[in-house]
Amino acid sequence: MENIYVTIGLEVHCQLLTRAKMFCRCSTDYIGKTPNTLVCPVCMGLPGALPVLNRKALELAIKTALALQCEILPEVVFHRKNYFYPDLPKGYQISQYDFPIGVRGVLEFTLQGVKKRVRIRRVHVEEDAGKLVHEGPDLRGAVSGVDFNRAGIPLVEIVTEPDLHSPEEAKECLVMLRSIVRYLGVSDGNMEEGSLRCDANVSVSLSPEMPGTKVEIKNMNSFRSVFRALSYEVERQTELLRAGKTPVQETRHWDEVRQVTVPSRGKEEAEDYRYFPDPDLLPFCIPPEMLQEIQATIPELPLQKKERFMREYELPEPEAYILAQDRDLAEFFEACVREFPSPRAVCNFILTEVLKNLNSLNIGIRESKVTPSMLAELLKMVERREIGISLAKGIFEEMFRTGMGARDVMLKKGISFLTSERDLEKVVREVIEKNPQSVADYLRGKEKALHFLIGQVMRATKGQASPEVVKNLLLRELSGGE
Amino acid sequence: MHARVSFEEIRKIAHLAKLSFSEEEFSRFFQDISDIIAHFEKLNELQLEGVSPTSHISWSDPPMNTDEPVEWQGSDLVLQYAPRVEGRYFIVPKVVEKEEKPS
Repeated sequence: MENIYVTIGLEVHCQLLTRAKMFCRCSTDYIGKTPNTLVCPVCMGLPGALPVLNRKALELAIKTALALQCEILPEVVFHRKNYFYPDLPKGYQISQYDFPIGVRGVLEFTLQGVKKRVRIRRVHVEEDAGKLVHEGPDLRGAVSGVDFNRAGIPLVEIVTEPDLHSPEEAKECLVMLRSIVRYLGVSDGNMEEGSLRCDANVSVSLSPEMPGTKVEIKNMNSFRSVFRALSYEVERQTELLRAGKTPVQETRHWDEVRQVTVPSRGKEEAEDYRYFPDPDLLPFCIPPEMLQEIQATIPELPLQKKERFMREYELPEPEAYILAQDRDLAEFFEACVREFPSPRAVCNFILTEVLKNLNSLNIGIRESKVTPSMLAELLKMVERREIGISLAKGIFEEMFRTGMGARDVMLKKGISFLTSERDLEKVVREVIEKNPQSVADYLRGKEKALHFLIGQVMRATKGQASPEVVKNLLLRELSGGE
Repeated sequence: MHARVSFEEIRKIAHLAKLSFSEEEFSRFFQDISDIIAHFEKLNELQLEGVSPTSHISWSDPPMNTDEPVEWQGSDLVLQYAPRVEGRYFIVPKVVEKEEKPS
């Protein structure tokens, strides 16, 4: 089977975390709000309304471009992108054309430990459109409803060069991009809620010299669907090529239900947006001080943090990478390590138990009731062998659920401490005395008998001992008794 | 006078703007737009080498908004004047969900 050459470029839109819209002062807090309540003459495109730029939107877009190592163009110019669609009240979208905020940037990420580098073609700002609703109690017959609450929310558009070569790379690149916009505080990057949206251009070729046909994929609403849509598309184009056919240059939609891409309709005419400078908005020269001020607000970014975690805490790369992806989680980790300086143990507990509990509620660490000190206290108890790790996991679940500290959970649940190995030794000796048959079986080489004895100790201690410690104590006692 | 616009381009512009015209109107637009473009051709007689395009003639910094939301009270009124409303939605003819939409 011959090689295939996959080329992917991404076009990502992120809603910027401003409180007011991009060109008017309507609130951006639109999720779940009554339709057409967060609107005004500007964002509904009423005649005579004039846009005034929200300074914060500009700053956040510049911050994004700087973090992606873009060259910042000295002048901000807005263009009108003209097209007709019911969610676009003015008949044009205020966007940027030949003078985007930033050009020629770089995004780095790692895939299975290998560093990848993607060039960023451009970063620009534009306004979001309204929302179309196709079904609902208010909608009878062949109609669609239009809600302009979202219209005019600032977006930053990030376009990569076609430097990605597999669906895995594309997905990981997007994960890193989301991580960066979250670190920067410029967007919450929530794909499910649509605050981060991704389109992809993908082409497949059977020879590296022959460029493939570019197909654009839209409507991918999760990281998983980005991966699946691209995988499907690579396979579809490969099959066409192997059959001696050429894929059609077109836009296709990802159908989440059927898990296929389907051609979009109405693409017969070439796109012609008749861009021209928006006469309602004056160009703005970015003063150098403004750039410096924004640059100073850029925090340590995920890859830098990962490398520091590997250096400072000697964490393995994969673990450091996962921790560093989530700024809040990384900060939680560091705060916890300050109180319980065993980075590996803290990292392992966070990446297993903490993430498991967070994922079960689909929340971030910030929304959880557990503080770094509380986790540090729990891990100290494990280290002192007051509790076993499996009991610790159960206690953590309860801490997570109730917000109580480890000791309070134990008091409430009537769990007493096995404060020392001496207490445990006593229980171990008792169990050995009471079960001479099992002891004899074990000494004759029956491994199963040892497990039975461990079980008896665990039962006698109501599961509060660490099975590992119990096993070691039993082995010590049994070999000493020989 | 040299027309820089074709009849087909006039049709395309009308199509993009979702406007329809009679053949007679098209002929008139063709003439008018050709004349306008011919008039602009005069500007090309000027020596403009090295002069960057001007999109605005103001040199002052544009005014900007602070990022503080302000509620607008007139949305009910706008809905009242809309040709068709259901609930609080503006109603338009059914948009085919898969229809090509620029991003």
